[in-house]
Amino acid sequence: MERNRLLLVAGAIVAAVVVVVVIVVVAGSGSKSTSTTTAPPVTTTGSGGSGTEAQSTFAGVPQHGDTLGKPTAGATLAVYEDPQCPYCQQWNIDTLPTVVQNYVRTGRLKVVYHGVVIIGTNSVNGLRAIYAAGLQNKLWNMNEALYERQGDENSGWITIGLIKQAAREVGANAAKLIADADSATVTKELRRSEAAAEAINLNGTPTFTIQKTLGQEQQLSVAGLEPNDFTSALDAALQ
Amino acid sequence: MTLRRAAAAACVVGVAIAAYLTYVHYSHTAPVCTTGGCETVQKSKYAELAGIPVALLGLVAYVVLLGLSLVRGVDAALVGVFVAAVGVAFSAYLLWAQLGPIGAICQWCIANDVTITVVAVLYVARMLTERPA
Repeated sequence: MERNRLLLVAGAIVAAVVVVVVIVVVAGSGSKSTSTTTAPPVTTTGSGGSGTEAQSTFAGVPQHGDTLGKPTAGATLAVYEDPQCPYCQQWNIDTLPTVVQNYVRTGRLKVVYHGVVIIGTNSVNGLRAIYAAGLQNKLWNMNEALYERQGDENSGWITIGLIKQAAREVGANAAKLIADADSATVTKELRRSEAAAEAINLNGTPTFTIQKTLGQEQQLSVAGLEPNDFTSALDAALQ
Repeated sequence: MTLRRAAAAACVVGVAIAAYLTYVHYSHTAPVCTTGGCETVQKSKYAELAGIPVALLGLVAYVVLLGLSLVRGVDAALVGVFVAAVGVAFSAYLLWAQLGPIGAICQWCIANDVTITVVAVLYVARMLTERPA
């Protein structure tokens, strides 16, 4: 009797472990993946969310145009990304909050956004909206809000309606943002970002560079996009 | 009876934790946090499984375990052992994710880990001592 019950308990535990392993493996293989980026071959799942999350990540952090953080920060992390890029989404959702908390809020780092078109023409709509949000000093909020709504590559998910909704949620003036998106100022920002990408021979997103005060801009090589992998590379570069 | 009551009490604690984290997930607010990593964990890809918040999965598991604690018999105890063991195994996976890839610890997740482990131990003890219904 006792022995039978012990066997039943053991069987239930083994079955439970098998079930969890299968679930984790199946759910992991069903996640979004891509071949158009240079990031390590990790997978990511889309996450729902709203600009409220984006606001909480950046609340109280100075933003000016494309720059996040104190202008006096000791080093600059430049991020080259495409709003349609799934790995860029992964980094912004999983890792940027840690970077903001541990490096930007402490004044060690400021982060500069460089939007580039890697995936397809729909990315241009997103980039224009993001840079237009920068005119209201909400570029990083808008960037994260779009990643939280990211659809399949080149499915045309970056629509005017989606941009308006994201803009409202991050507290931007949506009408002004839409008007600014087609302005010469935003076009100039896109050209400037394109030139910066060419200067570092960019061939995929996300790409990161680090530049210490009076130092050269150097590409940041990361083993992975999760917080631990990224901050290890960052710490080494900042030494 | 004592083991069933103890399991029910532990499940109520688990329901409270999981319900709070589910609320935080759907309300897009930051959880109350003293360890500093709750929001990072909450925003990570590990916070969802096939698009379902893991907090919601935990809530469902605790409700099932709470229900099973109200039912007498070996069969209910055995199902409880299985569900609780699934919870412990999945919690171990999430703990690995926090310590490894995410690099941040969420106090609510740790509280859940302790709770589900207590529930599992109580269900195993119940399974070994329960009289047939």
